[in-house]
Amino acid sequence: MNRGIRAITFLLFFIFGLLINLQFKGIIMAQPKNGASAKELAAQLELEKSENAKLMEQLANLEAERDMLWKNIGDTLNNQQINELLKKKDYEYLRAGLTSVSGSGIVITMEDAPAKGELDIEDYIIHDNNVNDILDELKANGAQAISVNGERVVLNTRPVCAGPTIIVNDSRYPPPYVIQAIGDPDVLYDAIESMPQVALMRLTNIRVDVEKQEEIIISKYRMYSALENSLKGLEVVK
Amino acid sequence: MKVFKTISLTAVCLVMGIIVAWQYRSVKMNQVLAQYEKKSVSEIIEELLVEKNNNENLKQRLQELQREVDTFKSGEMDVKENIEALEQQVLAARIKAGLETVKGSGLIITIEAGGLKTVEDRHIEELINELKASDVQAISVNDERIVAMSEIRKAGDYIMVNGNQLVPPYTIKAIGHADNMERSLKLLGGVLEKFQIYEFKTSIKKDDNVVIPAVREEYIKIDRLTPVQ
Repeated sequence: MNRGIRAITFLLFFIFGLLINLQFKGIIMAQPKNGASAKELAAQLELEKSENAKLMEQLANLEAERDMLWKNIGDTLNNQQINELLKKKDYEYLRAGLTSVSGSGIVITMEDAPAKGELDIEDYIIHDNNVNDILDELKANGAQAISVNGERVVLNTRPVCAGPTIIVNDSRYPPPYVIQAIGDPDVLYDAIESMPQVALMRLTNIRVDVEKQEEIIISKYRMYSALENSLKGLEVVK
Repeated sequence: MKVFKTISLTAVCLVMGIIVAWQYRSVKMNQVLAQYEKKSVSEIIEELLVEKNNNENLKQRLQELQREVDTFKSGEMDVKENIEALEQQVLAARIKAGLETVKGSGLIITIEAGGLKTVEDRHIEELINELKASDVQAISVNDERIVAMSEIRKAGDYIMVNGNQLVPPYTIKAIGHADNMERSLKLLGGVLEKFQIYEFKTSIKKDDNVVIPAVREEYIKIDRLTPVQ
C-alpha cells in the first residue's frame, strides 16, 4: 500500500515537473524570435515612411517652384495664349482631382465593433463592401470630392479592408476609417443616415458616426510618378 | 499520517489540474498570437515593398521635375515650346478626368438577364469595383463614361449612370491590363460566378482597340470646391 502511494506520488511529481518545464519553454520560445524580426522590419518601414514624407515635401516645393516659373513666364512675356493655358490648366487639374480643395460636407468615421458578441465574427468588422457602398451613396448624392483616410477618391480608387487596416490607393491605414465628402451637407447626411447598411452595421456595434462640417479640406490625388505614366497605352480619339 | 498523505495528494492533483488547464490555454493562445504575428510580419513586408517602390518613383519624379525647372531657369525654351508643354499638361489632366474619348486595349463585357432576376445597379457596381481593383484606366457602361464621381442608380427596372437611363443588355468597356482584369473577374467566388447563380448571360471579349467616349463636360461639377494650395 505504502509503496503504491509512493509510486503514484513519484509519477505525479514527474509529470508535474515535465509540465512546468514545457510551460516555461513555451513562453521563452514563443516571444523573442518573432518579435525581433518584426521589430526590425517595422523600424525599416518607419525609415522608408519618413523618407517618403521628405520626398513628398521636396516634390511639393519643386512643383510650387515650377508653377511660379510658369506664372512668371506668363507675366513677363505677357503672352495671352500662355496666360489662358495656365488658367485652363488650373481648371482641368481641379476637375481631375489633382488639386487640393476645401468646402462644406460631411465626415464619416467608422470603426470595428469593440467586442464581438454571439454572432459570427464577420458581423462585427467593417468589410470592403460597407466602405464601397458608402462611397457609391455619396457619389449618387452629388459629392464633388471624396477622400478615405486622406486619400483622394479617383476613378480607380477601391478601398480594401485587410485585417484591422484599410488599403486606399496602395497605402495602408489603421482604424478608424475616415471618409470625407464635399457636397450639400444636408443631402449627404440624410443619404448616409438612411442607408440600411449603416443601420445594420450599427446593430452589431460597428461605429458609424456621421457629422456635417462647414469646412473640410480634401487633399489632391497623391502621385508618386508623372501623370503621363498613368495614361500609358491610352490614345486620344478626336 | 494517512490524513496528511491524502491532503498532500489532493493538493498535488489540484495544482496539476490547474497547470494542465493553464498549459492548454497558453498553447492555444500562442497559436493565435503566432498567427497574428506571422500575418503582421508579412503585412509589414508588403507595406515595406510598396513604400520602397513609392520612394523610387518619387526620386525619379523629382529628377524629372528638377530638369524641367532647370530648363526653365536657363531660358532655353521659346514661347512655342512653352505653349506645347502647357497644352500637354492640360490634355493629360483632361484624360485623367475622363473628359477625352480614349482608345486602348482592354475588355468588352456584356451582361443580360437570363432567368427571373433582372440586372440591377448593384450588380453593375460590383463588376465595376472589381475592375477598379486592377489598375483600370477607363470604364464605360453602355458608352456612358465612368468618372471619379460617377453615380450608378436604380431607375425602375433599369439603371441610371451619370443621370442617363440605360437599358439592357449592358455593355461594360474597360481599358487597362486585359489579363489582370479578366482574372479578377473570374476569381473563384468572384463576381462572374455570382452572376452565374443569378442566371445572367455574360460574355467577356479581349480587344486591342476599345474606344471609350468622354463624359459630358457639364457632368463634372466643381461649384462647391475651392482650390487650396
